Amino acid sequence: MARYLAGRIAGLVLILFLVCLFTYLIFFELSPDPAVMICGKTCTPERVTQIRTILGIDQPFLTQFWNFLSGLFAGRDYGSGANLVHCPAPCLGYSFQTNQSVWQMVLSRLPVTATLAIGAAALWLLAGITTGLLSAVKEGTWWDKAAMNLALGGASVPNYVLALALQYVLVVKLQVLPFPSSVAFTDDPGLWFQSYLMPWIVLATGAACLYARLTRANVIDTLAENFFRTARSKGLAPVLTMRRHALRPALTPIVTIFGMDFAALLGGALITETVFGLNGIGKMAADSIAKNDQPVIMAVTLLAAFFVVVGNVVVDLVYTTLDPRVRIR
Amino acid sequence: MRRSTAVIGVTLLSTLTLTSCTGASGTSSNGTGTGSSSAPATGGTVHVLAAADFSHLDPGLGWDGGVNNFYRLIYRGLTTVGAGPGAESTKIVPDLATDLGTPTDDAKTWTYHLRDGLAFEDGSPIDSAAVKFGIERAWDPEMGGSPYPKELIEAPADYKGPYRSGDLDSIETPDAKTVVFRLKKSFPDFPSALTMPNFTPFPKGTGAAHAFDTKPVASGPYKVASYVHGTSLKLVRNPEWKASTDKVRAARPDAFEWTFGLDGATIDERMLAGQGADADAVNTTSSIQPATLSRIQTPQLKARTLSGYGGCTTYMGMNTSRTHLSDLRVRQAIEFAVDKDTVVAALGGSRLATKATAIQPPTMLGRTDYDLYPHSVAKARQLLAEAGLSGGFTLTLDNRPDAKNTALAVAIQEALKPLNIKVKINTIDTSSYYEVIGTTAKQNDLAITGWCPDWASGSTFLPPLFDGRRITPTANTNIAQIDNDAINKRIDEIAAMKDVAAANKAYGALDKQIMTQAPVVPLAYEKTITVTGSNIAGAYLSASFSGGIDLVSVGLKDSGK
Repeated sequence: MARYLAGRIAGLVLILFLVCLFTYLIFFELSPDPAVMICGKTCTPERVTQIRTILGIDQPFLTQFWNFLSGLFAGRDYGSGANLVHCPAPCLGYSFQTNQSVWQMVLSRLPVTATLAIGAAALWLLAGITTGLLSAVKEGTWWDKAAMNLALGGASVPNYVLALALQYVLVVKLQVLPFPSSVAFTDDPGLWFQSYLMPWIVLATGAACLYARLTRANVIDTLAENFFRTARSKGLAPVLTMRRHALRPALTPIVTIFGMDFAALLGGALITETVFGLNGIGKMAADSIAKNDQPVIMAVTLLAAFFVVVGNVVVDLVYTTLDPRVRIR
Repeated sequence: MRRSTAVIGVTLLSTLTLTSCTGASGTSSNGTGTGSSSAPATGGTVHVLAAADFSHLDPGLGWDGGVNNFYRLIYRGLTTVGAGPGAESTKIVPDLATDLGTPTDDAKTWTYHLRDGLAFEDGSPIDSAAVKFGIERAWDPEMGGSPYPKELIEAPADYKGPYRSGDLDSIETPDAKTVVFRLKKSFPDFPSALTMPNFTPFPKGTGAAHAFDTKPVASGPYKVASYVHGTSLKLVRNPEWKASTDKVRAARPDAFEWTFGLDGATIDERMLAGQGADADAVNTTSSIQPATLSRIQTPQLKARTLSGYGGCTTYMGMNTSRTHLSDLRVRQAIEFAVDKDTVVAALGGSRLATKATAIQPPTMLGRTDYDLYPHSVAKARQLLAEAGLSGGFTLTLDNRPDAKNTALAVAIQEALKPLNIKVKINTIDTSSYYEVIGTTAKQNDLAITGWCPDWASGSTFLPPLFDGRRITPTANTNIAQIDNDAINKRIDEIAAMKDVAAANKAYGALDKQIMTQAPVVPLAYEKTITVTGSNIAGAYLSASFSGGIDLVSVGLKDSGK
């Protein structure tokens, strides 16, 4: 087990390194010059050169990349004299646009994205698995048909359409909810819940529909298995057979897909955050790309990759406990 | 099992519905206000809904219409622009200084005296040393902002600002209340240049390493109480600011609160709905969405609507260094062919833009209105025939991919079709657009862009765009690449004029002289149109801040709400 884990972690580090390298390479080779954008309207070629020096983007690729990597683990210094700033590890640099510490930006925005992801995940797991299970048990009934058709419809509505429609109906027309804001739970729990309700529903809808269909299919498969028939014929209580013999094997694929979905969501819900004006990682990604803010782009890319890779490792570990067939000794 | 899960599902749904029912906290307002006409009450909090955060809180770095407007709440300079609608908003008035300054030595030396009783938020006095230090910061290589301190004030070539090189001798401080500037050359319009944000005073020694971007030192009526970058900003009163020392800022509200990162459509919905605190809100950074325009027709909403010029010109540059466009007749043919009515329609109609015929927008001082090229396809055809190009040719138009610019590009494409000129639209990503059109080697034939002056004088409009000696291989602003001796000579002559009003008038005439050479097609003067909250008073649009609501005058009708 320890060896397995060590191997996975080594792979994780390698993948993150490659993500760093390629993101840096793309920026270095393909992106427009950030110095021109910073320089503004009345600009001179000398000033552009000066800004490039200050940003450190006049250095050769390997030097820049090494500075970035070493800053990540050991921290680094920016500027000189009275303008000297030490950026402690993990140093993701300073935003080209706002001079803010990128690490601080990530820390201040992560709670918003985490709140979104956890709330949405809870909602879609509950709604998706419940609906799927009911449909499987009542296979072929009107409930099953209605639920699955609804799920198909729900999965096909794009996020931004649902977000705008919900906001229009619930906030503008019916006025049952306020316009969402990135309020902290500790400041105003009521407003916090009301603010996040719509984003949760928007993020959960598509996934819930998918999970309902997946759960239904898996449970129906399991119900037809020999071991399940044996359990039933032994005279076990229906609730117990469902929980122990049908649900557990049916849920293993769900765990796999959930781990990856949830990890991806932690990397930022770009559209939902933008539409509802929630300042999470996704909005930060969108803004940084629009402004060609390389240190921030690096950070959000790295963060998203980190969550996905770690999510996969966690899924594998959980999988081994859920399913004895793939257990590692 | 079956039953219990079903019950959970139902309970969850009903909880959601119940909670959301209790969620309506706002009292919907029936806006009967007259917007700008009533004087604001003292107190209360003005809320500002904004799409994006400010670029920088440090005035040595930030420099655009939106942030300049905000800076006036927390910073003061020696001079500033007037606080009032219309022409008042482009007038230059004294702020920290007692007057607009005394020029001597052929306007190469300027002397200013500070008012009494001025202090920063930390209690230290705003004296001549603070003024000197604040301006010296502009030479630091890590600073940005307007080019004027470095362009105008005399300084050694290796001077790198107060943090690296210490004091600058050409800004003298004979006593605590007197500042003397020695300029590189005569500059009669110096009081206007002093309105730029990077002339803001700061206590000596502060603000290194971008400290002001998170914690500014206020000299204006408000100071920063809290700032979460990209999310929110709260200003409260600066107790060290005294109304008796300030003839410009009404500063009625007790606080300002910004919410950043809102979607444009959401801002519009919130402003129209006006629920709760949104009745006390304004949107200073952007115009309403074109789609919202048709919804502001009721008398209540009309009373809350403000509209005015953004103070900029949207134009199409014609690269005079290219094969066909080097021929004046071809450029003039294009001038005649472009139908400005279609251009205005492409921008969303007459409520969002008016057609441009002169280079400078109507908000400029000394501007003259004229139309050298009224729409005429016949004249255009005749000019092309004279140039021997009736058979047609292809031009490449550099453009950005957003909806507005795409509509403009298509309007140009259609307008030139009857002349057999095929316009190929070269779409460039917004973030690299200016780099491409500002690099003479990368620039194509045509480019749609715009220009806003730094203040309402032709000196910040015509020379950067049409002075042939300013053409640079990169970071070029003269995108027509026009280098005309008569124009260059006239630019020098006007710059030497001692009477600023006469100079501005001369720029108005130069505007027309430039257009005889047809280097650009003026397309439109875009307008700002914005809806204020129903409890907002004292709101008007300032031409000095890209048509944004002047923040130093805005307040609440009823501050007790």
